[in-house]
Amino acid sequence: MTVLPFRRKQRAYEARQQGLVLDDDWHRPSVKWGLGTAHVLLLVLLVIVGLGPILWLFKSAITTTQDTIVSPMALFPHGIAWSNLTDAWNNLDVGLYLKNTVVVAIGSWISAIFIATTGAYALSVLQPRFGKVIMAALLTTLFVPAVVLLVPLYVEVVDPPFIHHSFAGNYFAIWLPESANAFNVVLMKRFFDNLPREIFEAARIDGCGPFRLFFNIVIPMSRPILGVVSIFAILASFKDYLWPLLVLGDTNANLQTVAVHLPQIEPFTPLGDFLAALALSALVPIVGFLIFQRGFLRGTGLSGALKG
Amino acid sequence: MAEIHFEGVSKVYGDGTRAVNDLDLAIGEGEFMVFVGPSGCGKTTALRMVAGLEEITDGTILIGDRVMNHVSPKDRDIAMVFQNYALYPHMTVEQNLAFGLKLHKISKPEIARRVHEAAAALNLDQHLQRKPKALSGGQRQRVALGRAIVREPAVFLMDEPLSNLDAALRVQTRGEILTLQKRLGTTTIYVTHDQVEAMTMGDRIAVMREGVLQQQGTPEELYTRPVNTFVATFIGSPAMNVVPAPVLKLGSDSSLVGFRPEHIRVGPALNGSVGFNAGVEVVEYLGDEQLAHLRLGELSLVAKLPVADHVEPGTAAAFAVSREALLFFAVDTGFLTDPPS
Ligand SMILES: Nc1ncnc2c1ncn2[C@@H]1O[C@H](COP(=O)(O)OP(=O)(O)OP(=O)(O)O)[C@@H](O)[C@H]1O
Ligand SMILES: [Mg+2]
Repeated sequence: MTVLPFRRKQRAYEARQQGLVLDDDWHRPSVKWGLGTAHVLLLVLLVIVGLGPILWLFKSAITTTQDTIVSPMALFPHGIAWSNLTDAWNNLDVGLYLKNTVVVAIGSWISAIFIATTGAYALSVLQPRFGKVIMAALLTTLFVPAVVLLVPLYVEVVDPPFIHHSFAGNYFAIWLPESANAFNVVLMKRFFDNLPREIFEAARIDGCGPFRLFFNIVIPMSRPILGVVSIFAILASFKDYLWPLLVLGDTNANLQTVAVHLPQIEPFTPLGDFLAALALSALVPIVGFLIFQRGFLRGTGLSGALKG
Repeated sequence: MAEIHFEGVSKVYGDGTRAVNDLDLAIGEGEFMVFVGPSGCGKTTALRMVAGLEEITDGTILIGDRVMNHVSPKDRDIAMVFQNYALYPHMTVEQNLAFGLKLHKISKPEIARRVHEAAAALNLDQHLQRKPKALSGGQRQRVALGRAIVREPAVFLMDEPLSNLDAALRVQTRGEILTLQKRLGTTTIYVTHDQVEAMTMGDRIAVMREGVLQQQGTPEELYTRPVNTFVATFIGSPAMNVVPAPVLKLGSDSSLVGFRPEHIRVGPALNGSVGFNAGVEVVEYLGDEQLAHLRLGELSLVAKLPVADHVEPGTAAAFAVSREALLFFAVDTGFLTDPPS
């Protein structure tokens, strides 16, 4: 026997020893079959719950309305209806509303990142005199449910102080409030707090002022958290319903996002086309995530800057 | 190149800790000054005040003839080497070295020249395109050093730059730092808690304790004329033996007498020396010499003896110290005093 399988066995053994169920217990038939079945069931359940609806959506997007209504779970009893997709794109203007959504998402993303990074930088690195008070105030806002703020925020956007020009029917009505996200600021501040101060000090001695320190040192070192906040901000604005409905309204329907538009047209739309429209809109965040996940979520190798 | 002056400098932290107390010290142009002292004595704080990373509570610090108290770090013409290197993790070695130069608006060809010169001097040419995480500890240390050198500053500040290296690398890098500093002639403050490092590297040494400067001088001055018992026992390894004077039948109760381990010899007291009988407890054989741990009543002493001397652990023997080697200290203050006549 070679050494390798033994090592692998040994490692698997050690891994199991760290679990709740000891390795020796696994040899008892009752444990083996009982827990083994439970594992498999759990996995199947997770796949069904997590992936099932998405797969069903994509299947139904290319199934005729008839088939979807008669036998929703059947796999293409009367062939694949690719025409759903073209109909949705041409007749339902999915393209336009997707473009609107992307514009909203990008704007929200920029303003969220801008405020989260600069706010966190001020609180964590520059540390103004009343930083602690501001931080406490920020934390308190986390305890206020968003729905409670709906009306005050609406009043603010329709009649903003100093400007007195309504933002309603304008993307700024979404972009500006999106930036005021205490959670993102707190998340970002926590990350900045853990960046080693010596590196900032080295940079200051090397000649960095506060702006250079921010752009040349802090931001490049924060790629993982920038990815997290980006995903939060983009997904939130992608799926937001209530706020765009309120501030973009349907007076000028060409501005609306898919998340608001699709539910509105649902009653007047053939089911097949509607599901195709849903699938097309869902595709954008899914593909986006798949493309960017590596760059965003992978650690960026901050190790090596400091000796442990 | 510049001199550094501390004039009555104190640092009190927000929580009331008095980390540096009324420090007066002048560091000459091109001098290699070592701050040494036990942990928490305020060495780092003093250094950081020179760097501008810590506000000065009281007194003034001058670099050259400029008062630095309210000058920002980037305008002080200094470079600092941190204990844990503090390299920029997202930049390559080359970018790490060039970063400070770019910010100081040095021309591109000049940056390239300095970076390659420093890289060659520090043996980093092979690694210029690597990120810090792909370097060994010693290489990172050299990058940190290189980042300071390329700046060609008036002052180098180094805070325990070698403490993360293993013993062999430490001795080697110690030599490299000294060679570089002598070649560049840059005024340097070097912080360490290792007195051997201080003795071997420093042109002059400042010994600190609990925020107070105890003594400053050349390694030889500190070794031969320590101003008090703290410096006497802190400098030198093994430490100086300090015993109450009456034990050696010298002077009164109010005196302590100190003598270095190498000044003890085996045998009865001759003219001009004092003798004592002590038990030999342990003998450490070092090859070129041996350390004998002696017991004299309640007291422990260490003697550094030639290997030719035969001292048997568990026996008692006569030892002697030349009177010229004795230093006297006051019991109450610990200060060096004149020998009793
Ligand atoms: N930011 C701070 N706030 C409050 N007290 C501090 C701060 N930094 C250091 N001190 C205190 O000041 C004193 C001197 O600290 P300092 O770091 O200068 O010591 P050191 O001589 O460098 O010690 P070491 O050899 O351990 O590095 C210590 O008592 C320390 O606890
Ligand atoms: Mg220190």
